[in-house]
Amino acid sequence: MAGARPPASLHDVELAALAAVGDRPAFGELVRRHGSAVRGLLRRMGAEASIADDIAQDAFLAAFERIAEYRGEGAFSAWVRKIAARLYVRRWKKESRFDLEAEPADEGHGGESVVASRIDLDEAMKALSPAERMCVSLCYGAGVSHVEAADALNLPLGTVKSHVKRGLDKLRLRLAPATGAEGEPAGSVGHV
Amino acid sequence: MSDLDFEMKLDRLFNEPPAMPDSEAFARLVELRLDRGWSVRQVALGAAGLVAGLVGVVQVLGSRLVLETAAAATGRQAEALGGSLLSLLEVGEAASALPYGGQVIWMGAALGVMALAFAVTRAVEELK
Repeated sequence: MAGARPPASLHDVELAALAAVGDRPAFGELVRRHGSAVRGLLRRMGAEASIADDIAQDAFLAAFERIAEYRGEGAFSAWVRKIAARLYVRRWKKESRFDLEAEPADEGHGGESVVASRIDLDEAMKALSPAERMCVSLCYGAGVSHVEAADALNLPLGTVKSHVKRGLDKLRLRLAPATGAEGEPAGSVGHV
Repeated sequence: MSDLDFEMKLDRLFNEPPAMPDSEAFARLVELRLDRGWSVRQVALGAAGLVAGLVGVVQVLGSRLVLETAAAATGRQAEALGGSLLSLLEVGEAASALPYGGQVIWMGAALGVMALAFAVTRAVEELK
């Protein structure tokens, strides 16, 4: 039963527990809270807006089916984002739109002018190659490890790591403050 | 900015996406699809219950032949048991012989099973 408290006042874990016993309004509140995060991640991964929304819907439906598996050990948002990312990767592989193993050409971004104005992550992600976007957003947006990403994308671990490293280098350049860090070399790769 | 700082910043940026203006409409779409899925599931459960009920009725009525054979082949106990069940079947046959025909009885039984199946699914939903 939903209980007396309105869904909006409940914590994610409480809402998930209610959803696990079939409380659809409780799950609706979770969708309201985290829908933007899931849709945003899919767009950052490279999905067009309409496709991102379709996959986000599918991800939430899949999450509802599997809600009993969510035990509140991590953030609900991270859990759904992981589901959504895997759905997108599956679709992406089916369409085989890009060669993930291809080494991207150096686009010669002319970093100085870009760094001069701070731009947000969405804009910065656009500078990445499709493979870099996919790998970076899987590892940082969906909380997937490099090994899991390699497994999901059917790529060698080393390839995933180099996509992530190159992607981080480009993001570092674009997300750096207007003064300072642009000259720093890119460093080690996290989320191993 | 150190590597760690940058990665923390990146984590934060990924974890704090801007709210989308149509997030309410998106949530409604998901709820709609959930409701639709639930309705389909209810109908499927009801249909499965109906089919199962009909199969059960057919099995019970079909066992008449077996009971008759058993009654003839075994001793008094089997005869007594078979006899009592046969008398029940005779009641059924008598009902079939009524002016409105056996088909009506069958249809009524089927509707009853269907109603029962829907009642059960409804009760399950209420309990949840």
